Amino acid sequence: MNEQGTKIRHALTRREFVQGGTLAGFAVFVAACGTKGTTVSQAPSAAGSVAPSAAASTEASVAPSPSATPKPSLSAQLNWANWTYYMDVDPKDKTKFKTLEDFKAKHGVTVNYQEVIDDNESFLGTIKPQLQGGQDSGWDIIVMTDWMAARLIRLGWVEQMNLGDLPNVQANLLDVYRNVTWDPTNDHHVPWQSGMTGMGYDKAKTGELTSLASLFDVKYKGKVDYLTEMRDAIGLTMLKLGLDPSAATRADCDAAVAEIKKAKDAGIVRAFKGNAYAQDLTAGDVVLAMAWSGDMVQALSDKPSLAFSVATEGGMLWTDNCMIPKGAKNFYTAEVAIDFCYQPEIAAQIEAYVNYICPVKGAAEVLKAKSPDVANNPLIFPPADILARLHIFNGLNEADEAYFNQQFATVGGLG
Amino acid sequence: MASFLRRHKRVIPYLLLAPGLLWLALFYLAPSVQMFVSSFWSGTLETGFAFALSNITNYTQALTRFQPQFVRSILFGGLATMLTFLIAYPLAYTIAFRGGRYKNLLLFLVVAPFFTSFLLRTVSWKIILGDTGILLGPLKGIGILPEEFRLLATPIAVVSGITYNFLPFMTLPIYVSLEKVDKRLVEAAQDLYASRFVAFRRITLPLSLPGVFAGSLLTFIPAVGDYINAELLGNPDTTMIGNVIQNQFLTQNNYPTASALSFLLMAGILIAVGVYARLLGTEELTAGGV
Repeated sequence: MNEQGTKIRHALTRREFVQGGTLAGFAVFVAACGTKGTTVSQAPSAAGSVAPSAAASTEASVAPSPSATPKPSLSAQLNWANWTYYMDVDPKDKTKFKTLEDFKAKHGVTVNYQEVIDDNESFLGTIKPQLQGGQDSGWDIIVMTDWMAARLIRLGWVEQMNLGDLPNVQANLLDVYRNVTWDPTNDHHVPWQSGMTGMGYDKAKTGELTSLASLFDVKYKGKVDYLTEMRDAIGLTMLKLGLDPSAATRADCDAAVAEIKKAKDAGIVRAFKGNAYAQDLTAGDVVLAMAWSGDMVQALSDKPSLAFSVATEGGMLWTDNCMIPKGAKNFYTAEVAIDFCYQPEIAAQIEAYVNYICPVKGAAEVLKAKSPDVANNPLIFPPADILARLHIFNGLNEADEAYFNQQFATVGGLG
Repeated sequence: MASFLRRHKRVIPYLLLAPGLLWLALFYLAPSVQMFVSSFWSGTLETGFAFALSNITNYTQALTRFQPQFVRSILFGGLATMLTFLIAYPLAYTIAFRGGRYKNLLLFLVVAPFFTSFLLRTVSWKIILGDTGILLGPLKGIGILPEEFRLLATPIAVVSGITYNFLPFMTLPIYVSLEKVDKRLVEAAQDLYASRFVAFRRITLPLSLPGVFAGSLLTFIPAVGDYINAELLGNPDTTMIGNVIQNQFLTQNNYPTASALSFLLMAGILIAVGVYARLLGTEELTAGGV
């Protein structure tokens, strides 16, 4: 027994190894359960968005609140998180942004501008704990897409701005962007850039298209791409059915999904695509697709027979929006910076570089002299009659959003 | 240090294992455990998630709801594995026995596609299989195929894409096992009046089975979980379980269902591999069929 014991002790036996491994695994399991336990116990308080926002607002009133303090002063620095290619690079110095330099020259504020956002969810993940706890996230301005903006507003995670500090926004924000369902008071978000969702098609194969009914026309069987983006696909389908996407309900969703399913079962829909539909259009694999105006600027120059149109029934409008996170240190400076960019000259300067749709009135007129090709491009400055046909999707609460996503996934073969 | 090791010989194997074990523990075990725990969650991203054993219903619900995608994944993965085998075996055989001085070059060519990314390789199939692309364009031009015929956005394109992308995983193990085959055994068989075919069936094929086994596992396992090919080359009726998991995780933020699906996929693959190993016989494999 003793002899055997010493022999085994020298080598790491398979049994020891397995035992050790199991133990380690169990330890991790317990650890993981533990962390979850704490998260869960915190969750209820963080969850009912009423509680934390109330706590945060009392905190906000201690800090210089916009209405209370008589004359807020500008801070020396401003922290701005944005997406890439969303600010005009200075042609003279590629490391600087012209608009931000102009802002500094006028107000003496250095902007710490970081292109750190490339996905709404993952960026939110980086600041979520602070927002949940009502603390400063380190950013004074963040730029989020409309559905995420709606969620942040609903959760009370962004500051209410003082409209008196935003005279240029008040005067120059185009009407189509005002009074969205998810920010009826227009003081939690300011659109930064936006784009249209409509129909992209090959004129040589289809001729001019003006009705969304084409997307459901069996004439183009197997030659039509739909978008994977739920709000765009459901939104366009709702418009085709004569429903209003800015007030979408579950019943509307059901109707739209049924309509999409009919088209899919008839073999009209070739595939659901993200940006890849543009490739399919240029390659000739599809002749018609639900399309984003931003992509089509490029696709049109690759293949001149392509066209983009907003149908008579209407089109969708998405926006990326400036917001001030709850607890931001430099609240007033952030407001001034946002308002600064709503001067038509500044907006034009940004737009000449960015090429998305500008939400600022008067920018097109400024650009007409300097770069007429940008100013006259209907994909960048859509004429008023087109703008009037665009709709911003309804702000859904979490349960409805889950319902919409699930129904849409089902018709896409994902559920 | 040296004397410490001499006195405590028992420690050495642990030390040698440590880097690998640590790596596995950090990047495989811990995330797996975390994911296993989240598969028992209920709740939403905004309200937070709560753990409860009763949430085992996540599994049963996921299995019934996504059964078509599970079946399709196994089917596509299995088909692709069979196709890669049919293509890779003659390829590996030729390289191993007829490659001569071009052997290394030929092997390099097999591996060459890996120098570009998986995504790019799949996208290039879109160009090859395009409705008016280099393959179908001319055939339609001379009227062999009708105008509306297409390969893209069909199951054929998805299975072809998977087959192509995983071909080297099948070829290399088969090549290695064929390369090791003692040619004298084949000569001996032929000396004993075995035809070339019989010599292949009785000698070469059994000796290469370990390579076939390894190759088919290396192909089948990732192929079943693949979602890139179905996404880029497929249509709404060719979605695989990987697409569903991706959608649940990233679009719907439904972590519990996505985690449960991942574990179901793992279990499904384990069962399939177990059955396969039983059918092929592991003893025969380890003994090399000799």
